[in-house]
Amino acid sequence: MSVSTTITVPVPPGLVIAPQLPDLLLPVKVRRGVTGFLRNHPTVAIGGGLLLCLVLIGIFAPYLWTLDPTALAPAKRTRAPSADFWFGTDALGRDVYSRVLYGARVSLTVGLSVAALASLAGLAIGLVSGFVRWADGILMRFMDGLMSIPPILFAVALMALTRGSVGNVIMAITIAEIPRVSRLVRGVVLSLREQPYVDAAVTCGTRTPMIILRHILPNTLAPMLVQATYLCASAMIVESILSFIGAGTPPTIPSWGNIMAEGRALWQVKPFIVFFPAAFLSVTVLAVNLLGDGLRDALDPRMAKSL
Amino acid sequence: MVSYILRRVLSTVPVMAIVALFVFSLLYIAPGDPAAIIAGDQASPDDIERIRQGLGLDRPFLVQFGSWLWRILHGDLGTSIFTNLPVSSLIAQRIEPTLSLMLLTLVLTIVVAVPLGVLAAWKAGSWVDRTIMAFAVFAFSLPVFVVAYVLAFVFALQFEWLPVQGYTPLAEGFWPWLHNLILPAIALGSVYIALIARITRASMLEVLQQDYIRTARAKGLDQRSILFVHALKNAAVPIITVIGIGVALLIGGAVVTESVFAIPGLGRLTIDAILRRDYPVIQGIVLMFSFLYVLVNLIVDLTYTLVDPRIRY
Repeated sequence: MSVSTTITVPVPPGLVIAPQLPDLLLPVKVRRGVTGFLRNHPTVAIGGGLLLCLVLIGIFAPYLWTLDPTALAPAKRTRAPSADFWFGTDALGRDVYSRVLYGARVSLTVGLSVAALASLAGLAIGLVSGFVRWADGILMRFMDGLMSIPPILFAVALMALTRGSVGNVIMAITIAEIPRVSRLVRGVVLSLREQPYVDAAVTCGTRTPMIILRHILPNTLAPMLVQATYLCASAMIVESILSFIGAGTPPTIPSWGNIMAEGRALWQVKPFIVFFPAAFLSVTVLAVNLLGDGLRDALDPRMAKSL
Repeated sequence: MVSYILRRVLSTVPVMAIVALFVFSLLYIAPGDPAAIIAGDQASPDDIERIRQGLGLDRPFLVQFGSWLWRILHGDLGTSIFTNLPVSSLIAQRIEPTLSLMLLTLVLTIVVAVPLGVLAAWKAGSWVDRTIMAFAVFAFSLPVFVVAYVLAFVFALQFEWLPVQGYTPLAEGFWPWLHNLILPAIALGSVYIALIARITRASMLEVLQQDYIRTARAKGLDQRSILFVHALKNAAVPIITVIGIGVALLIGGAVVTESVFAIPGLGRLTIDAILRRDYPVIQGIVLMFSFLYVLVNLIVDLTYTLVDPRIRY
């Protein structure tokens, strides 16, 4: 490295003058508050914003110029998209626009419910497994076994046992996802247990339930939140797949998978029946995944670099 | 090494036992009385009871599980309620298209995703990297049937380059087989490609920061041998692991892809079985796919030693 500072004063021999450091570190603008967080993590803002729009669409579906999504109109079968029927009509004359908007309710309900239920169940099993030695071996062998059943087939097998309803779909997907979530929580719990502050709490005589509540649980929340968004995305895809192959939401309730399943026979001539629910589903899943990626980067900066 | 392989193979036994227990419980608690179905409409309660005893359905759960397991181990997966054919022969008839589709997808994924991931890691932070990763996020969010319909619409209906649907057995030649399967394989592979590309990039980024990579650069090795010989070899273990885990995605996706492209494989069999509530068939399919999945991950574990000689057991 060359020293570029011009020296005017004669320097005594043996003295080394430190080179002037260039201004490499630019001032960091600290952003605070919710808006600051969103500006620092634009993927969270984009994903969250899109998801919020879709939730609003689902809630306010009856007021968004929709018709009765189940009303049959045999005279108006398979109309192409027009001013009257924005997304066209399906093989039974039902308005695809209305069905797609109402379909958002099923997808979002299933996605959010599965994310919440599977996280809670996984958290419970993972905590028990991480703290109760004798239960760990049994639980984890059992979870290993269940994990070797591909999730979609697992859900399909469970759905075969019951009638198709939104509640049963939620239960089936939740059960299929629990093994993976509890494995994740167990891993996090096991690494947290080794932390010095847990040792300190043990030394202080804190009881195990209190340690779990005060020291372990809060630290599992960040990875769980990220995992829950991925669970939500995957649950929405599995729901649409189940409905698509006829093992999910009953045909009386419009869901994106159902609409596509009904449009399947006609898709080569009337692709719009399949196209619109497919587009909504993709955008919704993308929104949730963006939210998840953004949260992961925000909550775990070490992961952000690698993935 | 031999003892490791033995231990690893033995460790799949409890896993498969749990799968078997789950699958058996499925049939056990399934609605409908098999004895009544077999007896027919005109049977008296006594007849039904006699058939039930004949089938051993009055015995305790674990006894029934034991005898069921014994039959499974002898290759008897039961009889389809609907077609009265053995489940094992139903599966055997349909397995070729499904395995073809999955194998082709696997090859396609590895050939596409690994170089993409390596490229993204090499050009980390550049527009190439960002484009590949943006593609990965999008592809990961697109459900398999969405990709399937879009591909079929563009390449089969609009351009008419490839067939819309159908399957040609491999026995009728490699090119006709490939011709029919290429669109389904791309559709099925898109999520998988995104997943593997992301893992490859992450794993490569970690390896590229190591000292021996700097040494390799310093001694003037060309970029290609650094990336593919030094770095990729050391980054391979996590990539292979995820390739193994991702097979679950392939299995679930294959059911849907086959449905979109009208491929007469196990997916079609699954859907028919669900619609007819044909529990022995559902059971057989779940058992077979789970076994396949366990087998793939067993092979993955065993290849670690080939890829990374430092791993010794």
